[in-house]
Amino acid sequence: MDWGLLLTQATMNGLIIGLLYLLMAVGFTLVFGVMRMVNFAHGEFYMLGSFGAYYFTTGLHLPFLVAVAVSFIATIVVGGLLEWLILKPFRRDELNGMIVTIGMAMILQNLALMIFGPDPLSMPAVAVGTLALGNVVIPNSRVYVVGFALLVLALLYMFLRYSRLGRALRAVVEDFEIASIQGIGARVYYPLGFGLGVGLAAIAGALMAPLFSVSPFVGSTPLLKAFIVVVLGGLGSIPGAAFAGLVLGLIESYASLFFSSSTADMLIFAVVMAMLILRPRGLLGKGEI
Amino acid sequence: MKIKYLLAALTCVGAGVLQPALAQETLKLGALVTLSGAGAAWGQGIKNAAELAADKVNAAGGLEVAGKKYKVEIIPYDDKYQANEAVTVANRLVFEDKVQYIIGPVGSAPALAIQPVTEKAKVLIFTLGFTTKALGPDKLYSFRPPVTTAEVSQPQIDWLVKTQGIKKVGALFPNDETGQSISKDLEEAYKKAGSALSAKEFFERERVDFVPLLTRMMARGIDAIELDGNAPATSGLILKQARELGFKGKIIRTGGPATQEIINVAGKAAAEGMFVHTPIDPQQVSTKAYVDLYAAKYKTAMNGFSPAFYDATNMLFEAMRRAGTVSDSDKVRIELEKIKDFPGALGSLSWTGQATYGINHQLNAPFFIAEVKDGTEVIRARCTVDGCQ
Repeated sequence: MDWGLLLTQATMNGLIIGLLYLLMAVGFTLVFGVMRMVNFAHGEFYMLGSFGAYYFTTGLHLPFLVAVAVSFIATIVVGGLLEWLILKPFRRDELNGMIVTIGMAMILQNLALMIFGPDPLSMPAVAVGTLALGNVVIPNSRVYVVGFALLVLALLYMFLRYSRLGRALRAVVEDFEIASIQGIGARVYYPLGFGLGVGLAAIAGALMAPLFSVSPFVGSTPLLKAFIVVVLGGLGSIPGAAFAGLVLGLIESYASLFFSSSTADMLIFAVVMAMLILRPRGLLGKGEI
Repeated sequence: MKIKYLLAALTCVGAGVLQPALAQETLKLGALVTLSGAGAAWGQGIKNAAELAADKVNAAGGLEVAGKKYKVEIIPYDDKYQANEAVTVANRLVFEDKVQYIIGPVGSAPALAIQPVTEKAKVLIFTLGFTTKALGPDKLYSFRPPVTTAEVSQPQIDWLVKTQGIKKVGALFPNDETGQSISKDLEEAYKKAGSALSAKEFFERERVDFVPLLTRMMARGIDAIELDGNAPATSGLILKQARELGFKGKIIRTGGPATQEIINVAGKAAAEGMFVHTPIDPQQVSTKAYVDLYAAKYKTAMNGFSPAFYDATNMLFEAMRRAGTVSDSDKVRIELEKIKDFPGALGSLSWTGQATYGINHQLNAPFFIAEVKDGTEVIRARCTVDGCQ
């Protein structure tokens, strides 16, 4: 075997899958930062996003990019509404909030099961063929997805960095009390923070739908990965989640290159445990609470 | 539920009062199958098969055994694919409904769980459970109508290796009991056929991204990927991602009918040219007749396992006719074992299994290798346990 080639290939695979983890984890940690709530329903919004992309492209024949955008906006609205209707009494209430989101996850998943049925659906690939960089082969469908993911992240960065809403949101994540003293109201920012967070999960789902399949059960794996990523990166830290997402993708990819895949999975949890013991606040976490 | 029983009881009483002269007796068969949850598609297919076989004899005035005519009644129960649930309903069937013949159960665990009850009560069961432990010389009353991986994999692999020139096979398996045992069986089968399972990988069941594993396998120069042992949706994902990575070799699935689900996930283009195991040949006249019969009554697509259970139920009726009794299950069992070359929906049927299980309680039904062409299966070879052509 050509190790140099395999290593490059593994790096590319790792970065691509890392971007998916990154999108999931940034949304997850945003919700936590704003609401102090571990959102167990995060994976279900990933699932809703993938169903959105599926039905908007195959049912309504919208272009893929439009389908992703529509799923994103629809999920922000639905997420914001759910926050306002259901989660309002549980803001900053970690334990009860967690239980409510578990319930919400079950309801969303079973609703999807009743509406869409249990059979996995296949979404046609966005692009066919492969991109060859030297000897490294990347499926075009993945190149496409990576492009979109980077675009979304750039937009998110601009939003959080330069827009009024985004800056206020960051202030809430960093210190809720001081933010409220400055006049940043909870009425808007809780639903917005939650909606935006789950909207990112929906984008991840919509982007990944053509790569994987679409079914009511697709949300559980990305949720687990998001968990691992925020533990590694530090709960509530957005840059930490971004960094750890890519790192996790790379570790997974390299590990499954050198070890059998079961060993690789074990290794990742070993890294997570070591992180919790040696540096409980994560790579870039602040370590308060 | 209670009202239903009451109504049923009343109807029986009513029927008894109204027709005292017609001395027709009832033969009750249990259908202990999975009717809800993951295995429901299989369970429905099996229950419907038993009902269709019952309809057939009832339409002829009942099952005639030793001069008496019996009306056949199927009593269905749901085991929810769970062993504990299966034991509860098996007890109900054996001790309350007093049935001596059970069609089912679907799963291996439920089958093994009810055998202590059914074997002791001399109740014949016809299971779909794929475990090798379901049949054995100490389990005189357990039969299995569909052929399992143990029967089908070797002849199919022999044929594929010979005709398709496959040398190095790669395979991915879920990292659990099912995956581990299938990987061992397949490794031996490919070795015997003169090929090699040269790359195998295990993964956790919830995995959806197979690109890293496929990259590594493809780097070893495999010319075929075997999908047996994987759930339908997972197989579809593996196929889709392998094709996306530019894999040009053959795709093989030597067990577990799941072609439609795989095509749903991977798309028609990726599935083109895939070789799959299939238990039925829709072009065969007797099979087609059954498929039509099924569609006429149930209006849904038939699961591939269903015809084997229709045939098994008919063979059970034939055994009762030959034994001249419906109540002595020992005599019926002995006659059932003797049946040879029975003309069933699947073709000519006999019992096999002595070599593998130590008892001839496995139905030797023909099976087929199909190639997927434009989203449908086209039969390429006809097989029996002895080989494929």
